[in-house]
This record gives sequence, structure tokens and C-alpha cells, in this order.
Amino acid sequence: MAQQTLFEKYGGFSKISKIVLAFYDTLLDSDEIGPFFDDIDMTKMVDHQTKFMASLLGGPASYTDRQLQQMHNHLDIHDSHFDELKGVLEQTLSDHGMDRDDINAVLSEFENRRSQIVG
Amino acid sequence: MTIEAINEQLLRAIGVGVALLDRSNFGFYFHNDTFEEWFGTQVGTNTLTDLFEALDVKALGDGLDQNGRYTAEIRHKKKRRTMVIAFDFTAASEGDQELVVLVCQNITRIRELESMIDSYSMMVERNTREIKREKEQVEKLLLNIMPRSVYEEFKAFGVVTPQLYDPISVLMLDFVGFTDMVASADPSVTVTELNDIYSAFDRIGEQFGCERIKTIGDAYITVAGLPDPMPDHAKAVANAAIRFIRYLERRNTSHPHQWRCRIGLASGAVVGSVVGIQKYVYDIFGPAVNLATRLQEFSDPMQISVHDDVAKNLRDEFEVTSLGERDIRGFSKQQVWQLHDSKRTIASSQPISSNAAPDA
Repeated sequence: MAQQTLFEKYGGFSKISKIVLAFYDTLLDSDEIGPFFDDIDMTKMVDHQTKFMASLLGGPASYTDRQLQQMHNHLDIHDSHFDELKGVLEQTLSDHGMDRDDINAVLSEFENRRSQIVG
Repeated sequence: MTIEAINEQLLRAIGVGVALLDRSNFGFYFHNDTFEEWFGTQVGTNTLTDLFEALDVKALGDGLDQNGRYTAEIRHKKKRRTMVIAFDFTAASEGDQELVVLVCQNITRIRELESMIDSYSMMVERNTREIKREKEQVEKLLLNIMPRSVYEEFKAFGVVTPQLYDPISVLMLDFVGFTDMVASADPSVTVTELNDIYSAFDRIGEQFGCERIKTIGDAYITVAGLPDPMPDHAKAVANAAIRFIRYLERRNTSHPHQWRCRIGLASGAVVGSVVGIQKYVYDIFGPAVNLATRLQEFSDPMQISVHDDVAKNLRDEFEVTSLGERDIRGFSKQQVWQLHDSKRTIASSQPISSNAAPDA
């Protein structure tokens, strides 16, 4: 029997979709990271956040390191931006009742991708 | 507070954007707080067409003239967020003044959710396709080790009931001097050649309705009459056996390694089943299997030994000669026959498949 993913543990798409929307709202409102999304079409942005959350939580998506690099290398992303987004992610997951251990697991997965994102 | 005052307060505070427009130039007479919150503070001084350049003014005018109504969906950036607003215009009049009532619903969330569902369903569909592909791979693998009908049963019930097949014919083939060959030549070359030969045997057998059961090292076992009964099961294995030898003879003329085999044919009952819990093997058990193995041992290289029961069924189409009565380990004395390749008679018996005759 395959191990249950966080995506399944926290209720699958019907619950995760709420986390994605909350995350999306916070990102757009943030003055630190928001500007990166100024010219991004809403459909694309939602698609991106859905896949982002699904891949971090073991849902039906995954990005290769190369894809992550390609998606981010035209942006001027610094460590401070990455840290800010990490904070938003942590807050969102915690707001939605995720266990501390699980949050830490997600954050460390996220941290592993720092070198692909920060240019 | 008067009724009018309450009405106005409600209109201002309601979560729907409301505006009253001049029909002639689409200037604003009134807009409520929600409208202002969504579209900014310059609403009052600008006209509707200034604010929403994407709005099709001609279509709006036509709609109002013909139906008294018009609806549109507008994308509007508020800060960096794309808002999606549904506009609903209705023509109205106050005295001789032509007006337009505009009601705006915020459907941003609906559109965002739709986008998310699109995104998610695309991921899921892609995964489903991948799973389907993997399933087909597994199926292909399992079909390699068991007949399709057995696999269908295994898939439906998770187990396979051992089944008696009677009568069927077994062909047992073994290579002469294989052990020496492995020791003297490069083992990987030997195994590659063995794989080629087995693949050719599979194709030949298939044309006569034979089902390969297994290979054990240099031994190759195929049967006819399983899983579907076949009236000519003895002839099927005889045809396959003759062509196995023809194939090897022809192959030997152009290859440095000489492959020579012995073949035994026997008919009878077998029980077929999947054995093993973790490592599945489909196998057959029964006297016919043992008999075919023993008969194969009687054969000289490149010869086919046939049990009496099989020989009886072959006589009218194939050339068989008696090897006399032989003592067979585990069985009583039995009549044993040798099957010969007689091109004249073979030519008259067609392969059951519509394909051209195999290498011969």
C-alpha cells in the first residue's frame, strides 16, 4: 500500500483548493512578492498556484528542477522574496489546520528548491 | 429615518455594484459604494466608456434599443488582481429622461475556481493517462506468463482456480549440449541467441495455435488445446515440432553456433494454474508433461519422439515410424514413434493462422 500523501491526508482537491485560493489572495496582496504577478494573467496565475501546491503536497503534479529554473530565471528573485513567500506558505498552511510536523515537511521540501528559484 | 433614506443606505452598502447612467453619453448620475470600491474614485468624472475601454459600446446601444437589456463580462485590474465583473444593463426612464441602470456582480471567485478546476482536471487527466499506460505494461507482462483467459480470471477474482484441460498435447524441447555451449562460448552471446530462438519458436507455435507455457533454461514447453479446446491438438504440436527443427537447420547454416534439439510429444490431461503468492508463475501439471519430457530424452539430436496416443492421431497426415516398445520411467512399457518431416504431407496441412507459413 502506497503511503498517503499530504494532499490526500488533508482532504484532497476539495480542501486543498481552499488553501490554494487563500495562498493566491495573500500573494496578490503582498507588496513584497505581489509585483512579480503584476502582469500575469489570472488563469495562468491560478494554474500556477494549483500546481505549486499540488506538487509540494504530493498531489497530481510535479515540476522537474529544470522546469522550475525555466519558469523563474527571467525574474529578479532574491533570497528575501523566497523567505517572504515561505512565510506566506507557512501562515496559510497553519491557518488551514495543518499539523506542525507536516508544515515543517512542506517547508523543507520548499527550501530544497531555493537554488532553482533564486537567481 | 424615512423609507427613502433606508433604501438609499441599502443601495449604497449592498455587495453588488449599482450605477445609474445617462443613456445619451453613458455619464454617471449615481454609483454606490461597492461600485466605487471596485472601480476607483474617478468614476464620477469619467463616463462608462472612458472607464471600460474593452466594453463594446455599439453592442450595448443595440442591445438597449432592441431588448432594453445588455449583459457583458468585464476583466478589470484592481491593483494587480484581475477582477471579473458581470455587467447587467437595463434601459429605464424618469419622465422624459432616458436612463440606464447598471448592476454589477463580482464573479471573480467563480472564474478563479473555474481556472483552478481546469488546472486540476488537466493534471488528473494526464496522470490517468500515465496510469493507464502503466496498467497496459503490467498487463502485457502478465500476458507473457499466462494465457489471456487465465489472466482475465486473475484480474476479476484475484485468484486462479486450477483447471483441468483434457485432452491437450504437450511439446517438450531440449537443446543438445547446452551446458557445454554455455561453458565454452560467451554466456551473454549464448543467451541472446537462445532468446532469438525462443522468440522464433513462439511465433511458429502461435501460427498453429500453440501456447508457450514456459522455458526452463534450455528447455522449451508449449501446448496445444489450452486454454481453449482444440480438436487437432496433436497435429498442432506435430506441425510446430517439425518447423522448430526446420528453423534450427536453416539457422545453423548461417551461424557459427550449432543449435540442435530433441523433441518429445505426448497427449493427455493437465491441470493449469497460477502458482506462487509473490512471484506468479503459470504452470501446467500432469502425466502428459512428464511423458513429453521422457520422450524427448529418447530422441536423437534433431529428432521428434511421439507417444502412441499422439501417433494414432498423426498417421493419416504425417509420416511416423515405430521405435518399438520402450521402458519409460514412471510409466509402464509404451509404444514410441518417431515423427518425420515429410514436405509432401506437411504442405497439405495449412497453418491455422492466415499468416504466411513460418520459417521452413
